[in-house]
Amino acid sequence: MELRLEAVTKSYKSKQVLKGISLSMGTGVYGLLGPNGAGKTTLIRILADVLRPASGRVLYDGKDIHAVGDEYRAKIGYLPQDVSFYGDFTGRDYLEYSAALKGMEKARAKRRIEELARSVGLWDDLKRKCAAYSGGMQRRLGIAQALLDDPEILILDEPTSGLDPYERIKFRNIISAYAKDRLVLLSTHIVSDVEQIAAQIMMMEHGGIQHIHTAGEYIRMIEGRVWLGPMPAEQLVDYQNRAVISNVRAKDGRMEVRVISDTQPVPDAIQAVPTLEDAYLYLFNYLPGKAGR
Amino acid sequence: MSLFRFELRKLLLNRRTLLLLACLFALYSVVGLTSTIFLIGGNDSYRAYEDLAASWEGPFDSEKAVEAEKVYQEVSARYGTDARMISRSVKDQPEIILAVNYHAYTERVEEYWNGTPPESAEEPYGVALLQGKIAGLERQGKQDSSDYRELSAALERLEELGEPEFANILLWENLFNNWGEHMMQFLLFVPLTFVIAPVFAVERSSGMDNLILSSRNGRRKIVTAKLLSALAASTAVTTLYLAATFLFGFLPHGSFHGWDSAIQSIPAYARSMFPWRVWQLAVAGAAWLVFTSVVYSLMICLISSRMKSQTGTAGVSLAILFVNVGLAAMGDTVTQRLGALVDFGLANVTLMKEVFGGYKGFDVFGAYVSYPVMAVFVLAAIAIAVAFGTYLGQKSRTVV
Repeated sequence: MELRLEAVTKSYKSKQVLKGISLSMGTGVYGLLGPNGAGKTTLIRILADVLRPASGRVLYDGKDIHAVGDEYRAKIGYLPQDVSFYGDFTGRDYLEYSAALKGMEKARAKRRIEELARSVGLWDDLKRKCAAYSGGMQRRLGIAQALLDDPEILILDEPTSGLDPYERIKFRNIISAYAKDRLVLLSTHIVSDVEQIAAQIMMMEHGGIQHIHTAGEYIRMIEGRVWLGPMPAEQLVDYQNRAVISNVRAKDGRMEVRVISDTQPVPDAIQAVPTLEDAYLYLFNYLPGKAGR
Repeated sequence: MSLFRFELRKLLLNRRTLLLLACLFALYSVVGLTSTIFLIGGNDSYRAYEDLAASWEGPFDSEKAVEAEKVYQEVSARYGTDARMISRSVKDQPEIILAVNYHAYTERVEEYWNGTPPESAEEPYGVALLQGKIAGLERQGKQDSSDYRELSAALERLEELGEPEFANILLWENLFNNWGEHMMQFLLFVPLTFVIAPVFAVERSSGMDNLILSSRNGRRKIVTAKLLSALAASTAVTTLYLAATFLFGFLPHGSFHGWDSAIQSIPAYARSMFPWRVWQLAVAGAAWLVFTSVVYSLMICLISSRMKSQTGTAGVSLAILFVNVGLAAMGDTVTQRLGALVDFGLANVTLMKEVFGGYKGFDVFGAYVSYPVMAVFVLAAIAIAVAFGTYLGQKSRTVV
């Protein structure tokens, strides 16, 4: 199974949001990282077939998804950035309605709803109105909806926003287990969401995919560029306007800063083990033309 | 559960809409009740009218006509010539109401034979008048013209129907007024607009478009489900209107007298060419109202599929309705110039009085097609076009 984008562009009025994106995805988890306004949601919507590109094509196994139509949409599960509900629908209503939209058989829909409701921890709340759900519960319901028809392609836009740390870990585990022979595209700006589970991570900015690597490759990219060093608190405000700081913590009455830099940023700074978050900051905030973002 | 049942629930079977329907039922009941109450005094007055009318019913009687004329002259000098105003002014005097109604009937008999000058340019009526016009066309050698065919057909049908008879159709006439006058368009079509408006627009305003448009059944089957739910909802609202006005129109006097009379005995249907009894007109009128409300609902569906909000959908739908009503209310010069736009506009085509009360016809490729038949074709064509447009719209719809 292959999902390929060929020179996909999209504009809103005079602003070009996607600038000729071409890429190919097979089975596995793909992370899509990028700052706000990078064009992630637009790209996700085009892949979910709820938005049409201005030019270019999206091909599913070599066929244009618009030509494939219903059969393509039958293979995707989509969690939009903002999950919406009808005011008088219960959680079960919402999932049953989703099942009807996906054309699922009644018995299978019932079984899957039970499985997924237990899996995302909503079994006891299915009879409650969706509108009364907390933000995290609504998100989990959205995730259950996306997984309902066991889709071949799972497209998730900011799936973990509103989830607490335990729920996020649980979500990652569900996705990891699910992605064995499927394509999962996970768009987020929370780096740790994809660090553990994504086979490939796409870094997106200004409407284009700037890098596609594994988490390990990104980390190797910035080896020797992450520093830990002491700094007086009074210098910190001024310093962070000049440097890319990935973390600050108080230690022994002084501040310890974690800095992304090609050279030793402050005397006594020592090199640290880089993370994907450091790589993200390096690519989007440190490289020439991006400092001080 | 099928998509249709979910869509029906979203549109109709939810607490908000059911509450609206309950309020509408109360409103329609009041409309039915008050229209009957203002028709004639209390139950005693109606019973007296029914008893008196029993001896007046039947073919034209010149002695009764003279008697009625005398009473009419006296009463019209005091209350004016409008029969409804007279009835309301003398609600507790059934004998006067009967005489006034018989006087109106006498005029209809006169019209049947001679027509009423100036006769309607579109629908000339009256045996002698039609014969004169036909003879005129024959003298000009226009026997092959559509006018000739139309007038000949009208004369033939008029002669078949025969001279109208007098009948006590007081309560039925009231019912048909409730079903077939412009007030109905405000009472029925305006609330219907608000019931149907969310059908597609709600998906945009609620953000559910993301889920729907990305799903297998979100481009075609959902349109079918939504259109069917709109049909069901409009039928439900219209049935509510029909049932409430029927029930509460007859309930105060507990009588269906006149149900088997010819429809030509009802003033608004005196020129009708349908050989129907009153109950048949009631069935046809109810079916017509359901049909036209369904077509109007489909039009709202198309508008809703193109709009971002329910308010916008309702606004545009009501604007179309009111523009139609406005055009139909223009003088004859304007309406004749606008032709089919008025004939098949919502204001006219939804009124059973307009459709079944005359014998207007159209020349379609040399063939005479009556207004009701033409209206069915035009409305069916509109319904198919808007349904097709809605399917096309959903196919290319996006979330932004």
